[in-house]
Amino acid sequence: MATFSADVYQNEFLPDGGTDVHAIVTVACSGAGEAGQSGSGDAAEIVLVDTSGSMSGENIAAVQLAAAAALDQVLDGVWFAVVAGSHQALLAYPQDGSAMARMDERTRAEAKRAVAGFRADGGTAMGTWLALATRLFAAVPSVTQRHAILLTDGVNQHETPDELSAAIEAARGRFQCDCRGVGSDWQVAEVRRIATALLGSVELIAKPAEMAADFEQIMRQAMGRGVADAALRVWAPQGAQVLFVRQVSPTVEDLTARRQEVNALTGAYPTGAWGDESRDYHVAVRLPAKAVGQEQLASRVQVAIGEAVVAQSLVKAMWSNDDTLTTRIDPAVAHYTGQAELAEAIQDGLAAKAVGDTDTATVKLGRAVQLAAETGNDDATTRLRKIVEIEDAGTGTVRLKRSVSKLDEMALDTASTKTTRVKK
Amino acid sequence: MTPSEGEGAGAAGAAVEHPVAEVLLCPSCTSPVAAGERFCEACGADLGPPTANAAASPTTPPTATRPGAPELDATPGTCRECGGDVAQDGYCTQCGARAPSPRNHFTEQPAPWVAAVCDRGVRHTRNEDAAAVSADPEPGGHAVLVVCDGVSSSTDSDVASLAAARAARDVLAAGRPEGTGTVATRVAASTKALVAAANAANEAVIAHTAVGPGNPASCTFVAAVVHGRDLVVGWVGDSRAYWLPDAAAPRLLTTDDSFAAEQIAEGVPRATAESGPQAHAITRWLGIDAPDHTPRTVSLDLDVPGWVLVCSDGLWNYCSEAQDVATLLATTSRTGGADPLELAGGLVDWANAQGGQDNVTVALARVDPGHGDAATAPHTQPTSATGSTPAAHREEVQPDGHILS
Repeated sequence: MATFSADVYQNEFLPDGGTDVHAIVTVACSGAGEAGQSGSGDAAEIVLVDTSGSMSGENIAAVQLAAAAALDQVLDGVWFAVVAGSHQALLAYPQDGSAMARMDERTRAEAKRAVAGFRADGGTAMGTWLALATRLFAAVPSVTQRHAILLTDGVNQHETPDELSAAIEAARGRFQCDCRGVGSDWQVAEVRRIATALLGSVELIAKPAEMAADFEQIMRQAMGRGVADAALRVWAPQGAQVLFVRQVSPTVEDLTARRQEVNALTGAYPTGAWGDESRDYHVAVRLPAKAVGQEQLASRVQVAIGEAVVAQSLVKAMWSNDDTLTTRIDPAVAHYTGQAELAEAIQDGLAAKAVGDTDTATVKLGRAVQLAAETGNDDATTRLRKIVEIEDAGTGTVRLKRSVSKLDEMALDTASTKTTRVKK
Repeated sequence: MTPSEGEGAGAAGAAVEHPVAEVLLCPSCTSPVAAGERFCEACGADLGPPTANAAASPTTPPTATRPGAPELDATPGTCRECGGDVAQDGYCTQCGARAPSPRNHFTEQPAPWVAAVCDRGVRHTRNEDAAAVSADPEPGGHAVLVVCDGVSSSTDSDVASLAAARAARDVLAAGRPEGTGTVATRVAASTKALVAAANAANEAVIAHTAVGPGNPASCTFVAAVVHGRDLVVGWVGDSRAYWLPDAAAPRLLTTDDSFAAEQIAEGVPRATAESGPQAHAITRWLGIDAPDHTPRTVSLDLDVPGWVLVCSDGLWNYCSEAQDVATLLATTSRTGGADPLELAGGLVDWANAQGGQDNVTVALARVDPGHGDAATAPHTQPTSATGSTPAAHREEVQPDGHILS
């Protein structure tokens, strides 16, 4: 039986007239069990792989290995399907006319044979892959936990951005999707759009040979998520405004726009499936100021599975005229505020660089170097060093490097949202 | 009440007026819980094994209420700010206002001549002070004023201090000196009762000490027992008792068990010692880690009208000298009248207006030997064992009270 906890880190003291309350809420899950084993419904997995013409050669061979490795990780009894994607989506397995098959010794072997028959041909229209996955998941009513892996190597050329958007919207809330791009010919922003909407990750696979290990890891993680779906609920008092709700660890994801109304004062933010893990959330609420000495609740932050609230923590506000209390910024809030700004600075800097705006790129990436140093994100610093020459990390003084590998840029971009944990 | 006749009736009356059934607070949510309950009905917290007091006085009707007992009811269901529902977490479900915890401010007035006000103050988030008082209905009878100040660096001091104050009060209310003995024997009996009360208070603190790491719960203790013209005071720590006669010199009756008091004894001026960095370090307290919790005691003949005042340092921080307290009391009574509850509330408000740096507790008993002097035989001879002071005896006695025999 999974158990959740929610712990708050904040400075509840506000100065006279202060209105904005910031808190980091650490949500931890333990005893999650395995996907599809909780008794509340079955789990399902779909592997969506790019088999367009550009995949020929080394890539298609790697995809065959990777898909097989992923299938090996799928637990017996879990529903699954394999989709070969190009300018259209083809159901590669099962081939008996049903939408999905239950994993067992026989179906695993059959699916691997189907994967081995992949041939690289055609264009790229990822919206069609998502649309087929949405239909396949919907065809098995007993399934309550739905997850997909999507792999591409190129730009979404054979449908319009609007068509892709429509497919993403149709899939939103229906399944989670972890996305991977192999090589340097795909667009990080385009694939990130899919991953963000479908509560998944986006990462670069620089070399085809790394694909199998990555797929295996994704699938093992998916199978370790025994809680099919949990939501973060944020209550704020009448007259207050939820400024934002943001996941800040392990990656930065702005959840604000995902709000679904529970009641007039409470919004639910879907967080997808959970294994034994912990995630941090930054909640910011604006309150009408009260008199010095008064105390009030700024937010109830809860974890809900369905309608059941399984954990709650309280974010408080207390007005004080004691500067020693009100000027202190909670270390967790400071750390993750910096990490969120770091992600933004990297993405903005790379976007500016891509359109030739060297000045903006230098300023943004300089700020990123400064924030990475301040928040102790050494991985980000290492990746930034491949793009800029750092003259002074403390002031954020950098120069753009003349020649930069496209893969290094993409690695920096895809990893920009990864955060380091605050040192407690 | 006349103690010389019908002692049994008197004792029974005392039992009805001052049932010793413990009113405890849940250490998690501070909702009241019945003695002996293992879990809090409000929040489900484990309350640990029943305390010794839970088993006391099985004949006490379970529904008996103590006159003047604070209404430490569970969190109110309706928000005072907006009328919304208050959730289990203690905050309004609509506007988020914190429902005031009854523990943060409560009053007791068991009789018109005795009252106590216990308040969180301004700066502290929790009220770790506690007060418990009892009194005969008529002025001049038997009254007990107990104040305990929870040590804020320790865990659950708010729960422990209230349990301690009530345990001590119950011992002193039940253990009144009876009979027509001499002043000295009555004082000796009260002194013995004070030692027993401190023991009971100490047991109560220990019973509310959470197991495991962390600072164990601890608190100060001061109790004043008024019995007709007799006053006996016992204390551990730096909570105080003052005698404030209407028309004579006011006196601080207690000597703090504190670092500041040690400095004063060595000649440092009171104002300097009590504002130093260690001013609030106490040298004795109640609790499982207390090296010695035997109260020091003092007795006095209340031969003129005046007030017995018992308080925590939340008050005396702002008016330490007896004359300052007397002036404050006189000023407050001129504007707010002479009802002890009004007066105690006025003193608490005053301390909060000075900054309310600490929890504030004030307990008062009005003494008027000219009226209703029912509890004790007239003082026909000097009552002081030493005769050092004509109008009053003030003698620190050994804990067993033998000096006053």
